[in-house]
Amino acid sequence: MKHRVAVTGMGVVSPIGCSVGEFRENLLKGVSGVGQVTLFDPAHLPTRIAAEVKCDFSDMGFRDRKIAFAVKAADQAISSATECGTVPGAGEGGINASISLGLGLELFSMEDLERYRRPGFQHPEKLRDRMMFLQTPSDLCLHLISHIHGLHRTPMAHVSACAAGTDAIGAAFRLVASGRRRWMLAGGTDSMINPLGLGGFCRIGATTTANEAPEKASRPFDRKRDGFVLGEGAAVLVLERLDDAVKRQARIHAEIMGYGNSFDAHSISEPHPDGRGALQAMMGALKEAGLSPHRLDCISAHGTSTPKNDAAETIAIKRLLGDHAQHVPVFATKSMIGHLISAAGAVEAVAAIACMSVGKIHPTINLEDPDPACDLDYVPNRARYYPHEFVLSNSLGFGGQNASIVFRRGNSA
Amino acid sequence: MDKGSQNTDRPTVVITGLGHVVPGLPPDRDDCDPRRYLKVRKTRKFMAKQDDLALVAAGRALESAGLRDRSLGEKTGLFIAVGYVPFEKNDIDLLARSSIDEGGFSMDRFSTEGMDSVNPLLTFHCLPNMAAFHISVSFDIQGPYFVTYPGSGQFYSALESACHCLEEERIDVALVVGVAHQRNFLVEHHFARIDQAVAPERLMDASGCIILEAVAHAGERSAPIRGRLLARRMSYQPHNPFESSVPYAESFTGAGCPNVEPFGRLGAASLPVMLSVTSAAGGRIVEHSLQSGDGIVAASSWDLS
Repeated sequence: MKHRVAVTGMGVVSPIGCSVGEFRENLLKGVSGVGQVTLFDPAHLPTRIAAEVKCDFSDMGFRDRKIAFAVKAADQAISSATECGTVPGAGEGGINASISLGLGLELFSMEDLERYRRPGFQHPEKLRDRMMFLQTPSDLCLHLISHIHGLHRTPMAHVSACAAGTDAIGAAFRLVASGRRRWMLAGGTDSMINPLGLGGFCRIGATTTANEAPEKASRPFDRKRDGFVLGEGAAVLVLERLDDAVKRQARIHAEIMGYGNSFDAHSISEPHPDGRGALQAMMGALKEAGLSPHRLDCISAHGTSTPKNDAAETIAIKRLLGDHAQHVPVFATKSMIGHLISAAGAVEAVAAIACMSVGKIHPTINLEDPDPACDLDYVPNRARYYPHEFVLSNSLGFGGQNASIVFRRGNSA
Repeated sequence: MDKGSQNTDRPTVVITGLGHVVPGLPPDRDDCDPRRYLKVRKTRKFMAKQDDLALVAAGRALESAGLRDRSLGEKTGLFIAVGYVPFEKNDIDLLARSSIDEGGFSMDRFSTEGMDSVNPLLTFHCLPNMAAFHISVSFDIQGPYFVTYPGSGQFYSALESACHCLEEERIDVALVVGVAHQRNFLVEHHFARIDQAVAPERLMDASGCIILEAVAHAGERSAPIRGRLLARRMSYQPHNPFESSVPYAESFTGAGCPNVEPFGRLGAASLPVMLSVTSAAGGRIVEHSLQSGDGIVAASSWDLS
């Protein structure tokens, strides 16, 4: 790699905050963003809870929430990167810049479907209305953000499901590090809290049915975990060459050190029982970072609160770290915000970096009765003062796609 | 401009395999059956048309490269561009019939009858990363991946990522796949609403796969060299997709390159399908030019001799 890569801007839209500051504050307090579904009436679905974004972006006029989330997160990231009064791009603006984004599934509106089937249906006249009727192609937000911020290089869409957010940041890191891009926006966006999205996950038994106590429902590594809580949101980072960032006196939130991704090549819905693919992704990220496993200070786990993921991820971490595993805190952001699917890795990256920058790690909430198969230090229920230099973040996708990324503390206080 | 970094005098990457499938056209007049490539037979029920297409194209390309029976493992990567999310009319009709009452969409009905009426595996059939899963598990691919969407412009992103991974020696072999299942309710709806609407009969279901391999690795195993990528370039014009649309244009020229007309619109599969078709017909040169409908302008030159 030719260049070191800095994170100089961050934006987030999450179930517990729509700014980085609010998000970090609630993470460190252990606030749950999970509640009853309000975006639609879940009626008799087995799962009737979710982690919804509470901020109202309806004035933006997008029917697909993930587009509004991505645009807002990108705006925040750019504002954050330019707080110092200078802009990324070494004087070239967006000529050699692009966006790399993890995108959620394009699901259609059941109400529109009903209208579509009526006799004499006609498509709306305006392009904007046509592109939003029934369903909006997810990649449109890439082009919109490129247009808004004048990014002139080809955007990258990542649709590797739960690993997409981390893959998007990792791919952008490689492009900047290799000199192929001067700077990039990178992150993920998703919202599947709609009838077909939640219904689909219910149908395959992936989501929790602990509807009576929503704030307790997402409980990674706990014996009583019974499935994930569906969340929504977006996060976007600004990545640029470290030397450019230093030169323009930008605030450096973190440095990206390494990235790895891999296939389990095992099962469609279950992780490899030995954590093979997850281990390979983590080892790849550490190798690129030039770090031995013993240098790792803590891990942001994928930690979905599903019976199989949490145990397999624990095995993979123990294989990576050996005896050192007992001394490395492992935390699960999903305990508070649920599973943001294609946005998960990006939002969790912001969580890890934002907490690292104040010398703390956030808790894994609802860890009251640890599963014997999950026997690491998961930072249960209370944030910890823990100044650290290196954090590794995992995203382990449905379909056996695994991605890991290593961040180093920046110079922000 | 995203220019290719391939040195045409001393190529570091060569093509060792090509495969494609276009049901409806010879030799796949009937729908193709992916079962001969399935490593785990019970995964068949999880597969949708897009997964079938991608698996068959990848299998044929690996056979052409002499890699079908090899353990591919961690040094093989998969770079795949999939089409717009497909949804079949039968599934839509079933869902609608059991979720709509006289007053319109009924969440009460949807949450009971509607969800129970559809195939419980429908979720797996819609996820865009499932084709990557089925290829990885059937051919034991454990290396890096890039799963992107939804069109022929993004195939160039997949191709670029594969080339970077090979040139940086992260992998020895790359499967670069384009797949599009377009003859279904949801994708046909999308192409009917855009400014340059596409008639359903012009949309084709298709998949193609290129096996790219590091020259040294191909040499070590005495692999057949089926061609090389001479040049590629990609540029982009940012635009607001809600306010204006970009015209689509695509062409294939070169010695022995077949007429593209019978193939219709192949979506993300267009370039690998036409390379494979040209190679099978004994063609030598392919010049591809693309102005995708989303602002991506790309071109590439291939020598298949």
